[in-house]
Amino acid sequence: MIVPFGHVLLVAGIIFALGVFCAVVRRNLIMIVLGIEIMLNAVSIAFVAAALRWNNLEGQTFVLFILAVAATEVSVGLAIIVYAFRRTDSFDPSRFNLLR
Amino acid sequence: MTFYGFFFYLISAVVIGATAIAITRRNLVHAVVYLIVSYFGTAMLFYLFGAPLLAALEIIIYAGAIMVLFLFVVMMIKIESHEEVMFPLSQWLPAAVFGLIYLAAALMAIVETPGTEVSLRMLTATPIQFALYVFEHHWFSIEVISILLLLALVGALHLGFRKGAAQGSSPHDADASLAGGSAGSISTPREAASATIKEEI
Amino acid sequence: MFFHSVLSPQSSVLLLIPATMLPLAAFLVTFIFTRRHPRLCAGLSIGSIAVSLVCSCALMALNFKMTGPIQYSVGLLASSGLDIPFGFLVDRLNLLMIVVVSAVSFLVQVYSLGYMAGDPGFSRYYSFMSFFAWAMINLTLSPTILQLYIFWELVGLSSYLLIGFWYEKFSATQAGKKAFVMTRAGDVAFFIGFLLLFLHTGNLSIVDLNGRAVSAALPPSVLTLSALLIFGGIVGKSAQFPLLTWLPDAMEGPTPVSALLHSATMVAAGVYLFARLFPFFSMSPTAMEVFLAIGTISMLLASTMAIVSRDIKKVWAFSTISQLGFMIMALGSGGYFAGVFHLTTHAGFKSLLFLCSGVFIHRYGTNDVYELGRLGSRRMIVPTVSIIVGAAALSGFPPFSGYFSKEAIMASLAALPNPAWLAAGLAGVFLTAYYSFRLIFILLLPHPARSLGEFGPPQEAAGNPAAGPAAHESHYRVMAWPLIILSAVTVVLGFFGDRLKAFLDAGITVGGTAGGEHFALPSWVPLGLAGAGLVLAWLEFGRRGAKQIGFVERIPPLFRLFAERWYIDRFYGLLVNLVVDRGISYLCYQNDNKVIDASIDELCEGTVEGGRIVAFLQSGMIQYRLLVIFAVMVLLSIYFFFQVI
Repeated sequence: MIVPFGHVLLVAGIIFALGVFCAVVRRNLIMIVLGIEIMLNAVSIAFVAAALRWNNLEGQTFVLFILAVAATEVSVGLAIIVYAFRRTDSFDPSRFNLLR
Repeated sequence: MTFYGFFFYLISAVVIGATAIAITRRNLVHAVVYLIVSYFGTAMLFYLFGAPLLAALEIIIYAGAIMVLFLFVVMMIKIESHEEVMFPLSQWLPAAVFGLIYLAAALMAIVETPGTEVSLRMLTATPIQFALYVFEHHWFSIEVISILLLLALVGALHLGFRKGAAQGSSPHDADASLAGGSAGSISTPREAASATIKEEI
Repeated sequence: MFFHSVLSPQSSVLLLIPATMLPLAAFLVTFIFTRRHPRLCAGLSIGSIAVSLVCSCALMALNFKMTGPIQYSVGLLASSGLDIPFGFLVDRLNLLMIVVVSAVSFLVQVYSLGYMAGDPGFSRYYSFMSFFAWAMINLTLSPTILQLYIFWELVGLSSYLLIGFWYEKFSATQAGKKAFVMTRAGDVAFFIGFLLLFLHTGNLSIVDLNGRAVSAALPPSVLTLSALLIFGGIVGKSAQFPLLTWLPDAMEGPTPVSALLHSATMVAAGVYLFARLFPFFSMSPTAMEVFLAIGTISMLLASTMAIVSRDIKKVWAFSTISQLGFMIMALGSGGYFAGVFHLTTHAGFKSLLFLCSGVFIHRYGTNDVYELGRLGSRRMIVPTVSIIVGAAALSGFPPFSGYFSKEAIMASLAALPNPAWLAAGLAGVFLTAYYSFRLIFILLLPHPARSLGEFGPPQEAAGNPAAGPAAHESHYRVMAWPLIILSAVTVVLGFFGDRLKAFLDAGITVGGTAGGEHFALPSWVPLGLAGAGLVLAWLEFGRRGAKQIGFVERIPPLFRLFAERWYIDRFYGLLVNLVVDRGISYLCYQNDNKVIDASIDELCEGTVEGGRIVAFLQSGMIQYRLLVIFAVMVLLSIYFFFQVI
């Protein structure tokens, strides 16, 4: 008996909120991607806890996929950030408003 | 509470604390490092919840490859010469408000949902069991993921490719960057660094 | 179809159709096809009106002893709850009217061969003349007020077209517009009047309205109100007070048009309507009082205006208004026969007067009486004699027709309880004789030094400038014959009065003279007053050495009042300026700019602004959008959570 399932979900929720906060508030492109990583991490925790709760390995499988996708997305995202930095010489997302 | 329960609360506190500190750092390297700590904690949580393979993979891939990639990029670009506006009010106030609303809603949802007060048991899925399960039920998704990784490689390579910078890089530098699915934009640290330094401004 | 005719109905229909439809055919053919052939146009038009005349006379002969009105329905205007038949109504009054209308139209169209010869719009003139003839004949034969109204409007249209016939002249177009708008104002009242009737009775048939049954079912207030409103149309069409200023201006049209429309037939349509609905109107004594008053005022006002006018056509125009006032006074006082008889005789001698004036104008090219006198108009025999005949008839001297009809009017006025009407009528007789003979004396006995304007420049010539002196002779001959015929009619018509009275009175079942005769007016009283008017005119204008200054001209304020037509025109101008131009037009203009344009503009601006706001939501800094995503997600999850729970 570890903990009630609700507690784990709450922890995951808090970490998710922190990830959103990081993605929305930090004026740096890299920090935005970092926030996304935090969110993905929080979701992984929730999935693994759910796998344990319902005795189903699907949760852990999904975490495996999350891992792979996170890796993919970070590599492409950082490549884009570097490219964008070369174009506009800034990391501030408010500089990237050409679509207005 | 049992030992495992106490352990859980401790590790959760570490994770939350490290994440909270990470998102408020001005220095990006510090932020990344704190996040690595957070991932270590998460790996501990995975281990606690009976997913040892995932715990290992978390450390290897997440903390070991992705965060290192972040560090590479942070150190490659001259980030310290670009000062960041820290926490403008117009951004963190709505974020905080909605975050609190979210947490309140989540709390209420957790409390009200009937199945959440059940305590988790101690179980472990050994790597063999896990692998068997995955390859039995989701073998196709694994293949798709491999293609996805190939796409990432090609995309990153294309984005990072610049005219004139390719002359310096040899094929084996491209091979060396395949490990762990890292971006192909940084082929050989030295040559890439010199190439990028030349054309950075 | 119901009929009480003595003779076979088929023959009447056979006569009615060509009488009514041939002028329309002539109009369409001449207007559309034969514009390039003026002589053909004239021939077609005169031919059609001649056929109408023959058919009208034949109808009259056939139905001379008819016992009741005949109605033919050729169509039905049917809508939910609405059933209005279209067709013809033939009774004694109608027959008289169509004979008069077609006869005068025929004579005027023959006269126009000479008058309008050489005019570039010759074909157009004849096609409009045919159109007018068609509209007028059908107006008189209408069985329902609705059909009458339709043709009433068509007559107004043809008047507009003919007044503004020489459209290159700005004053002519203005006059046409003024005529149309003023009569239209009256027609609005007319329309509301008969609409009111229709709402209350559901029946617009003239025969039914004149009958006791339908009209007795109406409450008296509705009866009076609708009568007054219908009379509004009569006021407009017959140029009574207060809508009388269009008729003098309508003299901008060619003289035959003035002779036909604005003396004998179109303006008589108002009086005809009065006579047509005479039993209906008689049921409301208040309305009849009002009609009497309006007729009296118009009669006196117009007579005063005629006293000081220098333009020959305008004198006759004012005279027309005045005589129409007499007719309305007669009808308003209950003298049905008097009014209709005067209508008939007036058609004869007023068109005669206009046609004579037309000969003078055509010959000398000026409208001014003094000028015409100085240029020697008395050298033309036929017009001179005819104009004297006409003026004598107008003034009411025996043995001309005017004497008999005026006598009848005075008799019916004398039968009224209030002697003021009779006094007004007698004053009118005096003034009529005075102004007619003033004009005759100025025209025929010109004062040598009195020609050039001491009272302003001579008025503009409205004659046809295109004809040279050589062509005048042939024109003169073709113009002379209608004059001779009309003069003969004027001389003779008076003696048929009794037979006409018998003919007409048999056709009218209700109404008639009001009360008994309070005192019989000796016939020498109006005659004496007419004679006094003649003598005064002679004294001032006619005798040798007369200074030709009227007694009115010696009183400058009075003169100015009469010459300015009692400032009615000024008043209307002011009204139009204040209410229409500054008031309504201004409001409409502001509405157009500030409301309609502005609302559309605001709509566009709003859309653009809205677009800008939405664009703001879409583009810009990415993190705000992320925040929005997050917030929406939270709210949605709350929503779904609390729904599910």
